Amino acid sequence: MSLRTSILLAAAFAFASISAAAPPAPGTSPVILIQNATILTVSHGTIERGSILIKDGKIAEVGAGIKVPAGAKVIDAAGQFVMPGIIDCHSHIAVEGSINEGSVSVSSIANIAEVLDSEDIDIYRDLAGGVTTANILHGSANSIGGQTIVIKLRWGQPSSKLPFEGALPGIKFALGENPKRSNFSIPGQPKRYPATRMGVEETIRGAFTEARDYKNAWDAYNKKVSAGEKNLLPPRRDLRLEPLVEVLEGKRYVHSHCYREDEILMLLRVAKEFGFKVRTFQHVLEGYKVADELAAAGVGASTFSDWWAYKVEAYDAIPYNAALMTHRGVVVSINSDSAAEATHLNQEAAKSMKFGALTHDEALKLVTLNPAMQLGIDKRVGTIDVGKDADLVIYNHDPLSAYAVAQKTIVDGRVLFDREKDIADRAGLENEKKDLIAKAKKAAEKKPEEKKSDEKKPDDKKPDAAKKPEDKPKPPSGAVHRDSGEEAISAPDGGAL
Amino acid sequence: MRVPLGRIGFFALITAIAAILFLSAGTAAFAQGGEPQYFAIRGVKVVPVSGPPIEDATIVVARGVILAVAKDAAIPADAWVIEGKGLTVYPGLLDALTDVGLPPAPAPAASEGGPRRGGESAHGPEDRPNTTPWRNAADEVSLSDKRIETWREAGFTTVISSPKTGFFPGQAAVLDLAGDRAGNLVVKSPVAIPVSIRATGGFGSGFPDSLMGVLGYEHQVWLDTEWLEKAEAAYNKNPKGLARPRYDRASAALADALEDKALVLLSGNSTLDIRRALELTDRWKVNAAIYGGQAGYEVADEIAAKKIPVLVDLKWPEAEKDGDPDDTPSLRTLRFRDRAPSTPAAFTKSGVKFAFYSGATASPKDLLKAVKKSIDAGLTPEAALRALTLSPAEIFGVADRLGSIEKGKIANLVVTDGDLFNEKTKIKFVFVDGRRFEIREPDKPKDPPKGDITGKWKLSYTTPEGAEESTVDLSMATDGTLTGTVTSHRGTATILSGYLSADKFNFVINFLIEQSYADVKFTGTFDGTTLKGNISVQGFSIDFTGVKPTGNSSLAELSSTHQGDAR
Amino acid sequence: MKYQIAPKKFFYFLYFLCLLYLPAPVHAQHPPSVYAITHAKITTLAGATIDDGTLLIKDGKIAAVGANVEVPAGAQVIDGKGLQIYPGLFDSVTQMGLSEIGAVSSTVDSSETGSYNPDVVAATAVFPSSEHIPVTRASGITEVLAVPGSGGFDFSGNRGVIDGQASAFSLAGWSMDEMQIKRSVAMVLNWPEIETRTFDFATFSRKEKPFADAKQDYDKQVNQLTDWIDRARHYAQAIGHGGPSDFERDVKLDALAPVVRGQLPLLVFADKARDIRNAIEFCEKQKLKMILAGGSEAYKVKDLLRSKDIPVILRPTLYLPDEEDDPYDRALSQPAELSKSGVKFAIASFDNSFARRLGQNAANAIAHGLSYEEGLKAVTLYPAQIFGLADQIGTLEAGKIANVIVTNGDPLELTTDLKYLFIKGQLTSTDNRHKRLYEKYLNRPKP
Repeated sequence: MSLRTSILLAAAFAFASISAAAPPAPGTSPVILIQNATILTVSHGTIERGSILIKDGKIAEVGAGIKVPAGAKVIDAAGQFVMPGIIDCHSHIAVEGSINEGSVSVSSIANIAEVLDSEDIDIYRDLAGGVTTANILHGSANSIGGQTIVIKLRWGQPSSKLPFEGALPGIKFALGENPKRSNFSIPGQPKRYPATRMGVEETIRGAFTEARDYKNAWDAYNKKVSAGEKNLLPPRRDLRLEPLVEVLEGKRYVHSHCYREDEILMLLRVAKEFGFKVRTFQHVLEGYKVADELAAAGVGASTFSDWWAYKVEAYDAIPYNAALMTHRGVVVSINSDSAAEATHLNQEAAKSMKFGALTHDEALKLVTLNPAMQLGIDKRVGTIDVGKDADLVIYNHDPLSAYAVAQKTIVDGRVLFDREKDIADRAGLENEKKDLIAKAKKAAEKKPEEKKSDEKKPDDKKPDAAKKPEDKPKPPSGAVHRDSGEEAISAPDGGAL
Repeated sequence: MRVPLGRIGFFALITAIAAILFLSAGTAAFAQGGEPQYFAIRGVKVVPVSGPPIEDATIVVARGVILAVAKDAAIPADAWVIEGKGLTVYPGLLDALTDVGLPPAPAPAASEGGPRRGGESAHGPEDRPNTTPWRNAADEVSLSDKRIETWREAGFTTVISSPKTGFFPGQAAVLDLAGDRAGNLVVKSPVAIPVSIRATGGFGSGFPDSLMGVLGYEHQVWLDTEWLEKAEAAYNKNPKGLARPRYDRASAALADALEDKALVLLSGNSTLDIRRALELTDRWKVNAAIYGGQAGYEVADEIAAKKIPVLVDLKWPEAEKDGDPDDTPSLRTLRFRDRAPSTPAAFTKSGVKFAFYSGATASPKDLLKAVKKSIDAGLTPEAALRALTLSPAEIFGVADRLGSIEKGKIANLVVTDGDLFNEKTKIKFVFVDGRRFEIREPDKPKDPPKGDITGKWKLSYTTPEGAEESTVDLSMATDGTLTGTVTSHRGTATILSGYLSADKFNFVINFLIEQSYADVKFTGTFDGTTLKGNISVQGFSIDFTGVKPTGNSSLAELSSTHQGDAR
Repeated sequence: MKYQIAPKKFFYFLYFLCLLYLPAPVHAQHPPSVYAITHAKITTLAGATIDDGTLLIKDGKIAAVGANVEVPAGAQVIDGKGLQIYPGLFDSVTQMGLSEIGAVSSTVDSSETGSYNPDVVAATAVFPSSEHIPVTRASGITEVLAVPGSGGFDFSGNRGVIDGQASAFSLAGWSMDEMQIKRSVAMVLNWPEIETRTFDFATFSRKEKPFADAKQDYDKQVNQLTDWIDRARHYAQAIGHGGPSDFERDVKLDALAPVVRGQLPLLVFADKARDIRNAIEFCEKQKLKMILAGGSEAYKVKDLLRSKDIPVILRPTLYLPDEEDDPYDRALSQPAELSKSGVKFAIASFDNSFARRLGQNAANAIAHGLSYEEGLKAVTLYPAQIFGLADQIGTLEAGKIANVIVTNGDPLELTTDLKYLFIKGQLTSTDNRHKRLYEKYLNRPKP
């Protein structure tokens, strides 16, 4: 089969759902009507005292007055604000094991899509912060890192159900201090190449040169096959180079971590040399210095609100970065790079109104429509428009404020976070925990005494009936997974600082 | 020249007697010289597993094989008859995944993970890190592994044994736990190719150092295996003009094992890993079984739909003994610990075929207790027994010769004085390949123990190499029986037997010293707070003293003892 | 040639020159020392809010504040119509000036090596030209406590047990002498933890230890600490007798003397309930005055904290909870919970580059149940009181240092602008590195 087909098949295996008998999605999504809210559509202004009708996971209607359909669940959002679900363009949540395959300079063989952890509590916490979609990225330990994936925060679903259908896969590059290991070294090991920004460029160029040759070999083979030649041996498949070929063919997005103005321009140059486009620059804290070049190249910029000074390359970071780039025509998003930051991206976006005078809607776009566009999913999410996915957040206050608290977060038309319910459920979970601890304690104390008092008991002892699992919105039961021992490292390679 | 027959006969007799004496003085791995190979157990309850139990039956065994099993089977005149009244016979138990019979892996490095020194780090998949699929258990059987005996005494006649370290540690073989020579133990090989995803040494240890890196690596290995076969065939057919494919030992070994229809064993204990293992069987297009499986209660239907068997780890998750008492485990962990033993029952309900294996269980005596836990959680005893006998035999393709008590099958039997899953039941005999092993009770302590020797002790002693320390973690039962472990810089060993009688204690471990296993005996006195005694190994005797390091005094106690002490 | 300038023109010229000096650069040669901000909404935190009032600043201090304050002649008058006046915010746990770029160790002075350094003083190492200072004050923070051994977002060094003395200073001045409010405010104690899991940077691997061993190590550390306090007590007694002595002086024990005399409080860093309890027990036994810093699990011991009158400097509220099963808003709701229980607390940034988020953190606590007034006081008056500086800072009252912010709105809200900034009674520019870079690249010509 052609390289393309085999690659697509591999991609399909990588994140297709497992089988027809997989656990069914939790029922058909109910019909929901949100009423009396201030609707921040992002695409066409604000609707005061408006309503949104949700059907089959989509936004069916948006307007000032919508009749309540029979059987619909009504959410009265009087005094509250609804905005599109937040899209975090740089996230490392929901990953089992290390986010870095840091051993080699080019680790494109690793694919984060294969290690999604649907039980990571940070999924729930970020939902509580209004995030509905996240770009799960490999870390920044390598010039060319692993493959990446966009997910929806479908809390309660298995990992196979998290990937955002139809979103193009990505690959993470990293430039600057992190891939050249400026700030730490591993004892007992020689310094890993590259150690300078020059080497970072050559690592990338070297890999793409190989990828280009690999692609040519496969193209030649495929040509012979279509010409009807028989008994051909295909070239050996190289899983490290295939994602790079996809980049060359425009089928995989490049998300590149970078800081300094010169390395930003370097990657644009290299991309041009090999004929591919960079999709987004991540962090890009000096992006404001080269905003025009970014705008001209049509590359998106995904940055922090106000982080700075933790590394030398972050010393020129300014909180005006997002606004300045926006005013120069760059599509800019604000991201978290951490589960904690992702719980208040609405607030981080607000800062660009103070630092750089973005308007209310421009600021909202930083965490909704813009990241959607950057990830190529803006046909489905990023604004409140009829036909789009019902990914929404209801706040008790204008979200662009430090006083806003998310009340409900809806993904695909399902309420996956409900603050009232969360608070009401706490006592029950505490009790369950106490009961299980007491039960285990009792069992442990029983063991040595069994030797004394035991007589042959009849074999038909009634076993404990297995407890009925809780309803979906709570953390899924069971399952402990061991990690391979790495997340303690937050300083060196961490969330790609 | 004619030698007088009498002289030859005399010498021959002496030699024969000497040989017999020599042989019978050897280890238990050698059969008791001179026993008939013809056994009959009369009037015993037989639980065949392949059919309903038979009361008051007779089993006849010869030449390692079951000749007859029936209510009124004829007993040959020269058979050694064992009266079976009050006894029950089960098929010999199978441990579905272990490394019993193989020398242990070298002791792990002092720190968990960490970088490998000396530039051995792999730089990519081509370096085939931690990959040794050519290792075959059948080639590495070592009769001096004491665990052969301890497993057997716990009722296990058969194990599926495999090297353990690395991503592709090797190939598993079915071994029966008795024989004169290593080769006698091998029943079938290879039967399985275990694949692990957890062997990474962590950040900085060389490729791969992350779970996703491991998976990428393993995908590449399987692709290479498939491709290399084709490439070699094409090259051999007509090498002219073609680049010569590089020989890859790992791919060659995997290809061979797959040809032999070896089952790929995928690790998967949590719901995440089990689901991932199910996906991997599709992606790698292999016949597989999952090992671990403890979160199976959550995903039983999904596993059943894929018709993949599961080897269930009997080391049920539980709180660590050395844990911080203020650390509360998460609700997820508590639920997992609570429900894991219900997995086998869930498997029965959903139609998942499963077997049990020892996992990290240190003492085989704990295995049946662990099975009992799953019976308490809803598994029927019949299903439990099947998971220890016929099911693993079926999974590994040896059900035509093992796993149940049927005429013609290998005579692997466990004879008990009661129900197998009752704690009080004792195992009386074990037959492996028709060889009889009588299981005797370990020496009972003569006097009730004085005091409680339970605890973690630091032993200090001087070996020819210098002063040393070991930690002995002892648990004492009310009758003075001791269990536990001994840890030194050489590694950790489980106490095989031991007791405290009045103030005298002794316990034994079995340790790999240089090339072979040896018993290390600790004997001494316990005065209530310290230990004093000696260690005896291979003829050497070393004195030691033991103290319990203080650890649990409260801050208040400490402050008061130091009030006013200015150092 | 002689220039003839009409008197009127001359006057306009002079007036024009004067305008050039408003707003004044950070420190003019002879800056005006009397300012009056009139017709503003004034929140003094020492009484009711004044809807239309005047604040008078003179010679570095607040001279008067009220609805009917007379503006003296010669005062620089700033029309505060539509504006609001608050005390400047006080960030009471920071590494301000002690660390410039976390990853570059030569710029980091926040943690000395060794476990016992009671004698080192933060004020010594504060870099007055640190870029963090102008950046931070532009967000309304006018004074900070620089705390050695308190770590930070990018901290990767080692913390000792007693890490030195924290210093309070205002965020403007040519040197520490000018900036300093008080040189020695509290002694830092990082309460030892029972560490069953550590990350060893030397071998880059995780190490696990059985609890009994970890507890042993912890006990050793506590014993050592006890020894130090005992020695300090005897030493303090000895030097207290005055006159010549036969023993040698020791700078470290000298530094601990005020602590054991109860004059210098211990700023104890502890987060887990067990550690907090142990620390409280220790300080009580040793008769040391304790302020808790960190307090992630303070809610678990709130009754104990209240009954012993121990105040807490809380970590930022925008942190994730420590345990998987903790409610997602654990850190956000803790201030409200503590407030209800009568525990005294402040909120601090525990950082330097994120210090400007201080107001945001207070606002988030308010959004989760803390009253607005308590939230504002948690970053102004309460830390001042907790650290014994309330006679100088924390409210807008006559006699206090004029660290004052004039805003166009709620100082805790994200979009509020700082219109005028007074530090030590000087009108201070909000210009900083970030603004300058912004302006530079704003003016980059289009290609």
